[in-house]
Amino acid sequence: MNIVVQKKEWIAALLAGGRGSRLESLTEQIAKPAVTFGGKYRLIDFALTNCVRSGIDTVGVMTQYQPLLLHDYIGKGQHWDLDTLSGGVSILPPHSKLGSTAWYSGTANSVYQNQDFIESYDPDYLLVLAGDHVYKMDFSIMLDYHKEVGADCTIAVIEVPLEDASRFGIMNTDETNRIITFEEKPEIPQNNLASMGIYIFNWHVLSEFLYEDEKDLESSHDFGKDIIPTMLREGQNMFAYRFDGYWEDVGTVDSLWRANMDLLKDMHLGLESWHILSRTAGRPPQYIAPTGSIKNSLLTEGSEIYGYVENSIISAGVIIEEGAVVKDSVIMENTRVCKNAVVNYSILDEYTVVTEGAFAGMPLDSEDAKLTVYARGTVISNSEFETQNA
Amino acid sequence: MYIGLSLSDPHPDTASDGNKIRTLSATRFAGRYRLVDFMLSNMVNSKINTIGMILNSHFQSLISHIGMGKEWDLARKTGGVTFFPPYLADERQSVNSENDGPLQRAVEYIMGASEEYIVLVDSSIVYNMDYRTAIEAHRKSGADVTAIYTKKRITPNMRENAVIFDITEDGRVFGVNRAPYSSDKLNISLGAYIMRKGYFIQLTSGEKNCGMLRFSRVLLSQALSRLNVLAYEYEGYCALISSVETFYQCNMEMLDIRNRNALFDYEKRRIFTSLRDSLPTKYGINAQVNNAMIADGCQIEGTVINSIICRNVRIKEGAVVKNSILQDDTIIEKTAMLDSVVTDRGVIISEHRSLMGDVSYPVYVDRYRII
Repeated sequence: MNIVVQKKEWIAALLAGGRGSRLESLTEQIAKPAVTFGGKYRLIDFALTNCVRSGIDTVGVMTQYQPLLLHDYIGKGQHWDLDTLSGGVSILPPHSKLGSTAWYSGTANSVYQNQDFIESYDPDYLLVLAGDHVYKMDFSIMLDYHKEVGADCTIAVIEVPLEDASRFGIMNTDETNRIITFEEKPEIPQNNLASMGIYIFNWHVLSEFLYEDEKDLESSHDFGKDIIPTMLREGQNMFAYRFDGYWEDVGTVDSLWRANMDLLKDMHLGLESWHILSRTAGRPPQYIAPTGSIKNSLLTEGSEIYGYVENSIISAGVIIEEGAVVKDSVIMENTRVCKNAVVNYSILDEYTVVTEGAFAGMPLDSEDAKLTVYARGTVISNSEFETQNA
Repeated sequence: MYIGLSLSDPHPDTASDGNKIRTLSATRFAGRYRLVDFMLSNMVNSKINTIGMILNSHFQSLISHIGMGKEWDLARKTGGVTFFPPYLADERQSVNSENDGPLQRAVEYIMGASEEYIVLVDSSIVYNMDYRTAIEAHRKSGADVTAIYTKKRITPNMRENAVIFDITEDGRVFGVNRAPYSSDKLNISLGAYIMRKGYFIQLTSGEKNCGMLRFSRVLLSQALSRLNVLAYEYEGYCALISSVETFYQCNMEMLDIRNRNALFDYEKRRIFTSLRDSLPTKYGINAQVNNAMIADGCQIEGTVINSIICRNVRIKEGAVVKNSILQDDTIIEKTAMLDSVVTDRGVIISEHRSLMGDVSYPVYVDRYRII
């Protein structure tokens, strides 16, 4: 018997427990949703802002891998106006209960383990989403659609290039968008309609399936691999909701770099009208010195430019000293590029130092150009560069 | 054990009409701040979390800026910011009745608080200081009042609102004066005093509302013979803004890294302000920027030289902005030229137009004007 704190029509479960190992060193010390993006955001800002803009006031954030920075960043949710009297943001790490102590074994299991949290709001619908995608989306339109078609589960989908389709959950639908088949990461995709990892479930239906899935020892307790295929097999009403805006699952360092660069192409991805909320440091404005020069780049508060910057994203508190050149790169918070240093086609994580005259990365237009990623706190000097490339 | 109280002065007559519609302490500074941010941050950085603010006319933009004080960590159950606006006590009188005004309300408020001392400050003087060192000096000295001042040369246009202390060799204030015509360093009051609550109540008895100028030049000045007033020197950067010229001059001082580093001590004493989560600023392929302080949310496609650009400003291709301060939401259309101009918020300068003032007399464009 659960106690209902306050009835809500829908609440969100934000899955933020994964590492995102394909982000290499960027997620050695922090969870993927906490990775810096676009100079002044962290990835989780997009999911949280979308929730708030869609009228959701209760968000449970499931965390597990390296949660320290993520927990600190989310705080009480005040930066997204989620410090409300009822609901707001709740951080939900794995916990022990009478009779069991368990890590989250999969995305579905993390929701299963937090049933009490969800039940306390007695929601009709549960929105499940990931904390590491870059997009802006009004989930309330998706919910309207979910109700209109009478679905038990609605999955947001987007068309992807066929050659990329094997990275995603791919579905076939009929002309009414009813989902006929669903394959998680198929080797030979039949279609290019990809799951965005955003689901709306009728909560009472989902909770049954979670319960059954938990008893299945073969299951990996994952939404895409287990829950969705099972629901489909058992004849639940499942519909695809087509989304045609910008959406990027920044799963790899290359896609993270590309999504950052997309901010330069399409002016802010039309983000002006959506206003992504975030926790900003509150530093003095950026300064460009008489020796500085900057082209086709994004800059944010607290950065100081004495050198040359082109086609780059510069985060808060970054200093580019005189004579330094930064091209085609993503420079994260509090990094310093010293005098006459050269940075090409790289991601420099927070607190990196490129020492005087050092080289980082290889030029984008060079042969076999490959993105270089420097881990948090790396000190780059020429000798190190040489050994790395030896 | 300390309670903060701020006094504000109405705009002097030299301020433009545009500035007069908001109270002085809501005036913008360094691209993203308001003058009042410095006072509030100094308080919070000195662990003074109970702050009363006596307001003057046109305080609406100030109140909407501060709100509950969330960004200064002042939205809390104990303490926080309390406003004392002027009000109509009796419909037959214009504002404030004979013996009742915001100052009397503030006196009741500080009497009711458990703190023993008050730190009385001007809400529109810009500096970055931990009051606790001055508080320590005050307690050790046994003085009745400690007055914080700085040694600084001032320009003629700052004279009007400057309060100058005469200080004895052993550091006592024995006179409060207007600024002489002088290029020497003067002992300029920062409008910041530390005293027991009782002295403040004594000094202001009979006042309905008083600004910091009146407090220093009249109330404190008259009491110098009976009070022991200690002078405490502040050695950092400070800006005294009271007119369009001083607004321009002090903002431009922020282009000097020494001033910026002295004022914004991000690691130790951060200056807080209300946050808008503007997007990062985008620089276009043809942007040319040279010696400029630029806030977030801007789109810079033209040329910017020696200027301060506030939030969400657009400077389009071919436009040239020199020696200017553009406040929030200003739009400079293609090929427009500005030199020594201050725009208030929401100004639009149309294509091909040009405006030129002088660094000693900048042109001021009132808010929401379209040129």
